[in-house]
Amino acid sequence: MQILRPRSLDEALDALAAHPGATLLAGGTDLMVQVNYQGRRPEVVVALRRVPELLQMEDGFVGAGVTWSRLTSAPWPGLAQAARTVGSPQIRAMGTLGGNLGTASPAGDGLPFLAAVGAGVEVASRAGGRRTLAWDQFLVGPKRNSLQPGELILGVRLPTDLPQRQEFAKVGARNAMVISIASACLVRFADGAVRIALGSVGPTPLRAPRAEAMISADKHPSPAAAAEFGRLVAEEVRPIDDHRSTAAYRRHAAGVIARRLLERALA
Amino acid sequence: MSDKFEVVGTSERKVDGLALITGRPVFAGDLDLPHTLHLALLASPHAHARIRRIDAGGAARLPGVALVLTHENTPSLRFTTAGQGYPEPSPYDARMFDSKVRFVGDRVAVVAAESPRLAREALSLIAVDYEVLPAALSLDAALAPGAPVIHDEADAEGIWDAPHNLAAALDVAVGDTPAAFAECVAVVETTCETQYAQHAPLETHVCQSYLDDNGRLVLYTSTQVPFHLRRIVARILDLPIHRIRVVKPRIGGGFGVKQEVLLEDVCALVTMRTGRPARWEYTRSEEFVSARTRHPFRIRVKVGAREDGVLHAIEMDAIQNTGAYGTHSLTVLSNAGSKTLPLYNKAPHLRFTGRSVYTNLPVGGAYRGYGGTQASFPLETALDRLAERLGLDPVELRRRNHIGSGETSPIFAEMGEGREGVPMIIKSCAIPECLNAGMEAFGWAHKRARPRDTGPVRRGVGMSLHMQGSGIPLIDMGAATIKMNDDGSFHLLIGATDLGTGSDTILGQIAAEVLGVRLEQIVVYSSDTDFTPFDTGAYASSTTYVTGKAVERAAREVEEQIRRVAAVMLQTEAGAVQLGDGRVIAPDGRSVTLAEVCTRAYYGADQFQIGATASCVPEESPPPFMASFAEVAVDVETGQVRVLDYVAAVDCGTPINPRMAEGQVEGAVANGIGYALTEEYLFTPGGKVRNADLSRYKIPRTLDLPPIRVILVDSYEPTGPMGAKSIAEIGINGPAPSIANAIYHATGVRLARTPFTPERVWRALREAGIG
Ligand SMILES: Cc1cc2nc3c(=O)[nH]c(=O)nc-3n(C[C@H](O)[C@H](O)[C@H](O)COP(=O)(O)OP(=O)(O)OC[C@H]3O[C@@H](n4cnc5c(N)ncnc54)[C@H](O)[C@@H]3O)c2cc1C
Repeated sequence: MQILRPRSLDEALDALAAHPGATLLAGGTDLMVQVNYQGRRPEVVVALRRVPELLQMEDGFVGAGVTWSRLTSAPWPGLAQAARTVGSPQIRAMGTLGGNLGTASPAGDGLPFLAAVGAGVEVASRAGGRRTLAWDQFLVGPKRNSLQPGELILGVRLPTDLPQRQEFAKVGARNAMVISIASACLVRFADGAVRIALGSVGPTPLRAPRAEAMISADKHPSPAAAAEFGRLVAEEVRPIDDHRSTAAYRRHAAGVIARRLLERALA
Repeated sequence: MSDKFEVVGTSERKVDGLALITGRPVFAGDLDLPHTLHLALLASPHAHARIRRIDAGGAARLPGVALVLTHENTPSLRFTTAGQGYPEPSPYDARMFDSKVRFVGDRVAVVAAESPRLAREALSLIAVDYEVLPAALSLDAALAPGAPVIHDEADAEGIWDAPHNLAAALDVAVGDTPAAFAECVAVVETTCETQYAQHAPLETHVCQSYLDDNGRLVLYTSTQVPFHLRRIVARILDLPIHRIRVVKPRIGGGFGVKQEVLLEDVCALVTMRTGRPARWEYTRSEEFVSARTRHPFRIRVKVGAREDGVLHAIEMDAIQNTGAYGTHSLTVLSNAGSKTLPLYNKAPHLRFTGRSVYTNLPVGGAYRGYGGTQASFPLETALDRLAERLGLDPVELRRRNHIGSGETSPIFAEMGEGREGVPMIIKSCAIPECLNAGMEAFGWAHKRARPRDTGPVRRGVGMSLHMQGSGIPLIDMGAATIKMNDDGSFHLLIGATDLGTGSDTILGQIAAEVLGVRLEQIVVYSSDTDFTPFDTGAYASSTTYVTGKAVERAAREVEEQIRRVAAVMLQTEAGAVQLGDGRVIAPDGRSVTLAEVCTRAYYGADQFQIGATASCVPEESPPPFMASFAEVAVDVETGQVRVLDYVAAVDCGTPINPRMAEGQVEGAVANGIGYALTEEYLFTPGGKVRNADLSRYKIPRTLDLPPIRVILVDSYEPTGPMGAKSIAEIGINGPAPSIANAIYHATGVRLARTPFTPERVWRALREAGIG
């Protein structure tokens, strides 16, 4: 196994251009599980931790290499709250937002925030240069993204006009080190517009457009409206059965946390 | 009572603590021998199949492979892997390798190779032709007429009714329960189910074997039962017992799963055939699937009381899933009754019926609580219902019915470990103190009286009462040897097995107490069949009570010898001198040091080795008791249950080392909270475990645990060493029933199946129209 350790974005792109099939390594909290337990044997690894460009977090940009530990004090409450629920202190110290996008698990806890705010994913390669993909162009299926060979994730670009009303929650079998049974992130703008995205209840994070439209039209939602919002969200999600939960429970839990997040945002 | 002791009753540091926390290579897996062969397991992919043909040629020819073991080239006698006293009460239904596999994970073959990787690689070269058989993947499937017969072999011994998949059965009746229920004002009946659970020791099973300079076989292994292991391996391999030495170094936790012979027979055979050291360590997934589990149960309990709130009759019908083999089947089944029913001895009419059922699922074994845990859940939730029916506080119902000092229960005589029990009068019982201290610390009266919350998150409180035992009377045996050194120190040699429990420390404290020295003057050496006397091992909450007594006796004999030598030196009577502070003191204040005493015995006049060996076979098994209190918050919309507070008030007799005793209870309660809330095996339709790792099988982490407040109430057991009983298991019995009762108090909904996962709670609430 060959391990390349670029010290700049240029070196990283060169390394990838020379080895288009290389495997990228950030914190390794997903990748090393595959290596250790699923027999994955990458031939060439490009380790990204020394690439300073990926560590930036400013002006609506979050570098792919920013760890969950750093994100717990990020200026975006929805992302910070999500970061606090990821794994354990050790996992948060190593795991990155870029890795979450790279893995593209439906349960990735950073992803509902990106979907709720409509983030763009910036990617780059030697051959193709830089491009920005909308989150839903990037996340295309369970554990599938649209990264091309030779490309790496630079980071995410967030809209500049985000409101402070951002809330994240997840339901799991215990309080830490738990993969979500359902998760959600909700943002509410001053004009009453609401965006909600849910994790673990579909192949990728999902928005709930009907629920959003219904509640966004309501400047002062009543408890009944909030309940209706939750009901619509539960209708719109597309969960499956697995060892963590049944689809029925996931659908129900998605509705409950959607309503609660709205209530929190209204409080 | 314990203030009369100097060393006993103080929280001494663990004698092995420094080595453990500084990362010394003290575990079985740390031994690093040259030319070791590494073993890997080919496990059955089928729940039930006959091996038509097995071709190991490809694997055997792979360079670096030394040996491939299958049913075709290994001993065929049947035995039980359960490390119990001889003759074992578990059926002889297992073989080293069999031509039939009975669960997904059963042994098919083992490869011994130059490296772990090679061994694993060779597994894929073994061609097995299976005739897949219909499988029984639940209790009901195994009990149904025409169910596949799991043990159809002719040479099994000790199976109750193999054609009907019954490993064991029990029927114990005292009085006449049907007639008695007719005389009750309130009768409650409930059926509960419990799940497969894992011990999850930090250290998985690991064994290393080698031949010593004289060609004797040494097994250096993570076991709770070195002497049983030596006996069982000797029989399987047809070796004289004296050709085998078993050494248990430090152990990274056992909780019962290491009361079993799982690796040692194969390691031993590889070493005997090749002359080379062999090493086998279970992966975490193998630990889940191919080691042992907690037997799941379905238990129906019926309780009835008269007008005065005194129980009149109790019936318990327990159906146990023992999985593919009957290890600990009968004894865990009988403990379901014998570790619960005596608690309520006011009921004159009792009936316990039980069946242990073979299924094509993972194998049950010994697990902390040992049936008492599984049966406490239905019994203590049934009593909660009964209290409500009678309009009594649940604590008050227990008060009117619990056993007390000077009392007995017919169950003690009726139900033993796979045979009749031993009658016993309770000599120490601080249940009233446990209830009072627990209620007080918990704030029971106040929390119980709070009006029920109506919001989405509702708090509630529940309690339960428990007992366990202290060893197995007239079966267990512990022995201790103490020999004196010429600096006034002592060696304490014990067969007892410290699994991280701290038994080396507390046994050292008992010896130090008698001999009037500090703990540092006792060198404790344990669990080596070549050098330490016999001990049945670490199980059944026995070590403190049984081996502790042996240590006390040996120390008293040594004390006598010291007195005699010192009396000559001090020119006085042996009966007149006193031991203390490392000296022997005459009535007039003159003294000699222990070093001087032993130096005289070694080199002076009338030379001899000061030392003694003593044994203890307990005549009874005094139960420790525990009152358990839990406060929960139930999110009725999501079904999530959070434990907010937990109090365990325990009567363990004298706590030899209070901090370690508290640690045992804290650990057991945490263990029990996992069992109550999150831990369970999930299976595919074909019977394969779906979550055989610690990321998908959820044991509780610190953030999931409430403050666990342990109260050790004052108590003194006259038959125990310095008043001690036991403490290792009892704590795990509390959480499931206390939490279930608290959930009911919070929501009005009864849960009858563990664990109370968010989804299961949500479904129960929804059925009741809540949330
Ligand atoms: C014990 C444990 C608990 C966990 N708990 C959670 C949890 O609660 N919530 C959660 O969401 N996740 C959890 N995870 C998963 C994991 O920690 C996260 O997905 C994390 O964000 C991965 O980041 P990483 O930097 O470690 O990624 P890595 O493992 O280094 O990489 C993951 C994938 O992304 C690719 N990749 C990484 N960086 C880039 C890049 N810049 N460009 C392109 N591709 C890239 C890699 O090639 C790889 O395919 C847990 C994992 C473990 C082991």
